[in-house]
Amino acid sequence: MKLTKLLLATAFAATSLGQVSQAADLRMSWWGGDSRHKVTQEALKVCGDRYGHKIAAEFTGFDGHLEKVTTQIAGGTEADIMQINWPWLPLFSIKGDGFADLNQFKDIIDLSQWSADDLAAGTMNGKLNGLSVSTTGRVFMFNKTALDKAGVAIPTTWDELFKAAKAVKEKIGPDAYPMNAVKETAVLLISLNATQSTGKDLVDPATKKVAWKPEELAKAIDFYGKMVKDGVVMSQKSVAAEGNLNLFESPKWADGRISGSYEWDSTFSKYADPLKGQKLEPVAILKASDAKTDGVYRKPSMVFSISKRSKDPKAAAQIVNCLLNEPEAIKILGTSRGLPASKIAAKTLTDGGKIEAELLKAHDIIVKANGPTVSPLNEHPEIRSVFLDALEEYAYGQIDSKEAAETIIDGVNGVLKKF
Amino acid sequence: MSGDSRFLGLVYLAPYIIGLMVFTALPFAASFYLSFTDYNLMSAPIFTGLENYVKLFTSDRTFRKSLWVTLVYVFTTVPLKLAFALFIAVILNYKLKFINFFRTAFYVPSILGGSIAIAVMWRYLFADVGIVNMGLAAIGFEPVNWFGDPTNALFTITLLRLWQFGSAMVIFLAALQSIDKSLYEAASIDGAGKFATFWHITMPLITPVIFFNLIMQMVQAFQEFNGPYIITQGGPLKSTYLLPLYIYEEAFKRFDMGYASAIAWVLFAIIMVLTVIAFWSSRHWVYYAGDKRS
Repeated sequence: MKLTKLLLATAFAATSLGQVSQAADLRMSWWGGDSRHKVTQEALKVCGDRYGHKIAAEFTGFDGHLEKVTTQIAGGTEADIMQINWPWLPLFSIKGDGFADLNQFKDIIDLSQWSADDLAAGTMNGKLNGLSVSTTGRVFMFNKTALDKAGVAIPTTWDELFKAAKAVKEKIGPDAYPMNAVKETAVLLISLNATQSTGKDLVDPATKKVAWKPEELAKAIDFYGKMVKDGVVMSQKSVAAEGNLNLFESPKWADGRISGSYEWDSTFSKYADPLKGQKLEPVAILKASDAKTDGVYRKPSMVFSISKRSKDPKAAAQIVNCLLNEPEAIKILGTSRGLPASKIAAKTLTDGGKIEAELLKAHDIIVKANGPTVSPLNEHPEIRSVFLDALEEYAYGQIDSKEAAETIIDGVNGVLKKF
Repeated sequence: MSGDSRFLGLVYLAPYIIGLMVFTALPFAASFYLSFTDYNLMSAPIFTGLENYVKLFTSDRTFRKSLWVTLVYVFTTVPLKLAFALFIAVILNYKLKFINFFRTAFYVPSILGGSIAIAVMWRYLFADVGIVNMGLAAIGFEPVNWFGDPTNALFTITLLRLWQFGSAMVIFLAALQSIDKSLYEAASIDGAGKFATFWHITMPLITPVIFFNLIMQMVQAFQEFNGPYIITQGGPLKSTYLLPLYIYEEAFKRFDMGYASAIAWVLFAIIMVLTVIAFWSSRHWVYYAGDKRS
């Protein structure tokens, strides 16, 4: 009897699954590098075959992807399934109506695989607009080989970092630096310093204004100024002179003259690859003895969203579930989008030994560190521009730290008014 | 002419006319309307009257800086490029050995010049340890901070544009070759030197081509985007932040399509005014065959 019931239940489940949707022609868009493109196409083929759908792949590099998706959404021609950068959610869907509400597909997508925090991060105005693919955060990473050469241990505090600057200059050369701080990284280092000393994120969620006082931000900017002055990081002028190269393309990074940076944990391999024969190590977040928090900058790295205009959202939901929760696709995708946020995906990859030890270590640092919840508005393009422009003027001696802090706070508050 | 053949011409023209309407005329009109709106792409445009233009001319420091940089760039690049293109064209007009090879070689940068790859190459050439600084060091000069110093960065971008002199040069070369040789013979018999011949015969006869190149190069220079976008990203301190870069960032980084359209229309108006001035002034310095003026 039990067997009969089980067979009937299985048959019912199979039939109802088949009824979710007919064969559909879908499109999926994402950004990434070659390895991500390759495995995603492979996984889409597997998921498409499993559910009888055809999925056209639309992929690009990160540069220009926001512009492409924005134009598509504005023209109503976006893909059915989209990989959306988490900070873009407020741009496209501040009221929660920019994407399909994935709660409506909870019978298709197993939402129990995500933590409440992850689901909250993808929720806009009560609607689940995106499912977190992975969690990421900024982590310090140091070239241990280069620091060994300079005779210094990997820094664990800001003070030790400043001491390391002297050592690398003496032993490696006058153009050696123990840390990198270019553009976004400089902004995030300043933010980290301000967060550690105040215990607050840039955006106060209650007032939707900058949480830091001008003097607090000015102090963090001065800290960056001291890093430049003491040779911990290169000045903006020197970085520009090199042609504004990405750190992983820089000869100074490859040969160990720049021996540390503060990058996304998921990009660890990108920075480790150029260091032929040298060892890159992720390390715990540097902080001062009086820091109120680690100040970890942790966030969902990206989400999968479904277009609100999709002709067959249920079919799209099947594919999303397949990519994020089903073993075959999980194994194919591996860590191409960082460590998966889906519990079953993380378990499948961990059990299968598919996660690189260093990536796991970097991710562990992010997960264990504490800090205030990071607002997606930190990475709003206008807010980032305000920060970068003021910082550049400060770096070139056009304004002092107090003026820079006031400019940033006024500018950011001006943008925040829109939300 | 039968009815069928009357419409045949229109049928042949239709693909071009449809393309012009859909991809040029419509966006042109749409951007004009959008320049009077607040439009972020995600919701319907809201009509705001002259607000965007008032903000542009009264409170936008970035626009003022970007406009100034653009004007400096155009007024530096265009005369230098025309002079250089004409200079090379005059040299290539001589009957030299391997002249066809040299003509091709000088034209090649124009084919490659606007590409992303060349902009990236420029970044490496002028980097602090790039070939240019290595060359300067070899002859005893201090290295120059080409990209990091606001006073040098625009010059570096200008050089990239100058390097693409080939298309203007080819047009000059064609004009030089079309000049009647008997005029040079007559001048030579009258005892005119090389400079006098060039100034009094060559220059007046190629003024229509100079005028053509002036307009084309000016319009193109106002639209320069790739160089500053790839090489300097508009920096440092917005010293290479040309208006097309500002339009792009307002539209696609800050999603203020209405404001970006307003800047685009101001840029269009500037190009129009300068073109009209150039046409008006051409009456005084451009000479056409059969022109009755003395």
